[in-house]
Amino acid sequence: MSDKKQNEKCHVYLDGKAIGVVKSGARFADEIRKNRRTGLVSGEVNVAYMKKLNEVHINADRGRARRPYIIVEDGVSKLTPEIKEKIKSKEIDFNYLLRKGIIEYLDAEEEENVNAALTEDAIDDRTTHLEIDPAAMFGFTFSSSVFQEYNSVGRHPISSNFIKQSQGLYAINFNNRYDPRAYLLFYPQMPMVNSTTYRTLKLNRHPSGQNMIIALSTYFGYNMKDALVINRAAIDRGLGRSVFYRTYGDEERRYPGGQQDRFKVPPATTEGYLGEHAYAMLSEDGIIEPEMEIRENGVMIGKVSPPRFLEEQTSFGVGEEKSRDNSVTLRAGEEGTIDSVLVSETPGATKIVKVRVRNIKIPEVGDKFASRHGQKGVIALIVPPEDMPFTKDGVVPDILLNPLSLPSRMTFGHMLETLGAKAGALSGKQFDGTAFSGNGRDRVDNYGALLEQHGFDKFGDEFLYDGRTGKKFDSSIFTGIVYFNRLLHMVSTKLQVRSRGPVQILTHQPTEGKPRKGGLKFGEMERDALVGYGASLLLKDRMLEQSDKADIWICKDCGDVGYFDHIKNVPVCPADGTNNLERVEISYAFKLLLDEIKSLHILPRVRLHSE
Amino acid sequence: MAKDEAHGINGVTPGEAVGVVAAQSIGEPGTQMVLKAFHSAGISSVITTKGLPRIIEIVDARKKPKFPIMEIRLEKGIEKNYAKVREIWRKIEEVKVSNVITNFDEDLKSGTLILHLDKEKLSFYEITGKTVASRLSKREDLSVEQMDSETIKMKYKGKGRTAHMVRTAFVNVLGSAIVGIKGIIKATVQQAEDGTYTITTSGSNLEEVMKIDGVDKWHLYSNDIFEVMRVYGIDAARNLIAHELDEVIKEEGFTVSFRHIALVADAMTHTGNIKSIGRHGVAGQKESVFARAAYEETVKHFTNASVFGEIDHLKGVAENILIGKQIGLGTGIIRLTVKKDDLKKVKPKKED
Repeated sequence: MSDKKQNEKCHVYLDGKAIGVVKSGARFADEIRKNRRTGLVSGEVNVAYMKKLNEVHINADRGRARRPYIIVEDGVSKLTPEIKEKIKSKEIDFNYLLRKGIIEYLDAEEEENVNAALTEDAIDDRTTHLEIDPAAMFGFTFSSSVFQEYNSVGRHPISSNFIKQSQGLYAINFNNRYDPRAYLLFYPQMPMVNSTTYRTLKLNRHPSGQNMIIALSTYFGYNMKDALVINRAAIDRGLGRSVFYRTYGDEERRYPGGQQDRFKVPPATTEGYLGEHAYAMLSEDGIIEPEMEIRENGVMIGKVSPPRFLEEQTSFGVGEEKSRDNSVTLRAGEEGTIDSVLVSETPGATKIVKVRVRNIKIPEVGDKFASRHGQKGVIALIVPPEDMPFTKDGVVPDILLNPLSLPSRMTFGHMLETLGAKAGALSGKQFDGTAFSGNGRDRVDNYGALLEQHGFDKFGDEFLYDGRTGKKFDSSIFTGIVYFNRLLHMVSTKLQVRSRGPVQILTHQPTEGKPRKGGLKFGEMERDALVGYGASLLLKDRMLEQSDKADIWICKDCGDVGYFDHIKNVPVCPADGTNNLERVEISYAFKLLLDEIKSLHILPRVRLHSE
Repeated sequence: MAKDEAHGINGVTPGEAVGVVAAQSIGEPGTQMVLKAFHSAGISSVITTKGLPRIIEIVDARKKPKFPIMEIRLEKGIEKNYAKVREIWRKIEEVKVSNVITNFDEDLKSGTLILHLDKEKLSFYEITGKTVASRLSKREDLSVEQMDSETIKMKYKGKGRTAHMVRTAFVNVLGSAIVGIKGIIKATVQQAEDGTYTITTSGSNLEEVMKIDGVDKWHLYSNDIFEVMRVYGIDAARNLIAHELDEVIKEEGFTVSFRHIALVADAMTHTGNIKSIGRHGVAGQKESVFARAAYEETVKHFTNASVFGEIDHLKGVAENILIGKQIGLGTGIIRLTVKKDDLKKVKPKKED
């Protein structure tokens, strides 16, 4: 900092607005802090002295992310053992600590003025604050994991993402909610190993997974590369079973001119009438009843709308009111049962209907699971229980994980959880796996001792027997329990095939995307691959035959595009009126290109010659 | 194996899409190269562009490389003689006034400039204050006066002595060359394992370097493609393009057959001029309107084609894919020589 700037008076900003100047910003900020701790200034006020700018920023507005710190004064934490004792005996609570200036909340700007120690031992004479717990460095999502400190850092964001995607009990009042999409796990469990943060945040009220018995074993190559082999008996007993809710809704919209939509079974005269059987499931009011089974494209809400364009005047004055079908149907490729129907009104007094469809999703080949350590997998094989390996006690693992998924990813937390959960299950205890709360070696020793008490190997290894032959496997296999999440990526919502189907109106090329029953794009690079290989006929098949092949009539005289008159049974050239045309097989895209060139006021002419 | 035989084996079958294969063979490793090349600091005193940026530079046919370099070999007999090599080196590296002074005093009001020469630097470049002074005295707008061996005084005598003009003249003086070849910022003498010396330079100027006695005129190397084309002709430029591309790809640790690279070089130079591969070069100068329009600047190509009444004969790949015809490559190159109708005219031979 230049001397000049040092001598300048320090500007003070309140919520971003300049309000005045002070002589020493640092002292001013300290003064505010002191008063905040005694309660003179609200605890929601944060103040930061920006040394480089020589400015004081006071913030008291909303929307700042703040987190609590223990205040340290003269190298001593204000959270003394006596106070800790009082908290334990529930004599005082967290708010007391805030009131008494033992803990304070800091925002991002004030944190810049802070020298926070991670643990009490790390406090030195420069320390101003102390972290409440090192595990508090993790956010809400990642706090539901355990043993984070034993995992490779690169796995942390992956793990966080998977936890966010897991199916569970997202809300207890799910039955009264009409979420656009909702996934609900049937038998969610509390993890065998959880953490202080997990309990503090009461995450066990919203469990999102199940404790699954895993064995680190291969199974005829069916669990190569993050594939999972799963026990059919476990699925049959409800492992990973979930329900998928989707809410469809519609309203009776009003249009200018006094017209409006009507919920009713569309009469046969409606434009776009789907046929009598399509509306068979609707009640008199035009809405489907709960607990009815519905298939793809099935009508759930019958609705008729006024025509899109104003009607023409007939000789009888305004003609019979025409209407068009605007019913709500189930999405293509989905099916389910009507869970509930809600009929209500908007504040604008238009009638609205919501229909919630439920569909039970049983784990199947292609569904995705993940542990809390960024270890994901897709079911590749569902094995009958009799073919699964089993232990000497007759325990059959739920999942066979490929052992190769562990060394390269360095998720030691995954293994520690396997061991801890196994020991916990045997001794009927839930273990704590809070990050930075213990020593790995001690943990392994503790779990090992417990396992040995119950007659198991202290490292969690067990000898498994081949389910098909009954023979013991040569080597022992690491077996235990891991909390697995079922992720919301399920094949049943993604699988799509097409051999023929809809085409786009403009280009006559196949549509794209699942909701439009589309095909897979044969793109530029794929085209180049065929060109490079010299497969000219395959290329023509992809680009023309299976795409937008069109028969076009070209005038032999003028080279313009003509058409075929089916009444007179002759081709016609509209440009010069002759019938001297030739049928040509080209891509519709080319015809479109010719049209677009014409729109540039350029006349392209096609010269024909036979080969 | 006889030479002819080997040639036949390595030949490409008719209809092979050599261009596409070459593009893919170079493009695939290209995706793995890092866009930003890092300069290897230290050791090498000569900086060059490396990696993908250099490939882009070559393929785009930039008029001047960002870091031109030269490798100068010396004639037999003097190539191991350090003193002689140094003598040649001294003639090559361009020494500017600013390179040999410690500091200068300028007075814009009176229009005087006093240069304080650096004794060490002068002896390093083996020049004296006298040479500097005589060099500067050739200027018409300045009167030069050598005070002593390390001080040169100059006075501005040009017309209209405004501060701006004086200043421009002085800046000009500082940037003016005393000895060496224009454009050669730095030259270093390097010794190979066998004891021969070579001179590597930053900056390229083939014409001038060739004039120096003792330089091996038959083995001059420059990475400035356009300069090589000017001095040695298009064939040399073609070889240089191929060689430079090959070197960069090899340096990055990829293996690409030289034939693919050579094809790129051929495509860029076969017209006798260096064309870039891009919208203004090889791809932009295709014969077919549709192929050009499909690549870039669609409307521009169509409107221009309409003005000149262009005809697309549908010979290339892109235009045939567009209209949906079988392409004339690979399996599509095969045609029947005998026409179907002609076959009918053939009468079967009557058997006896």
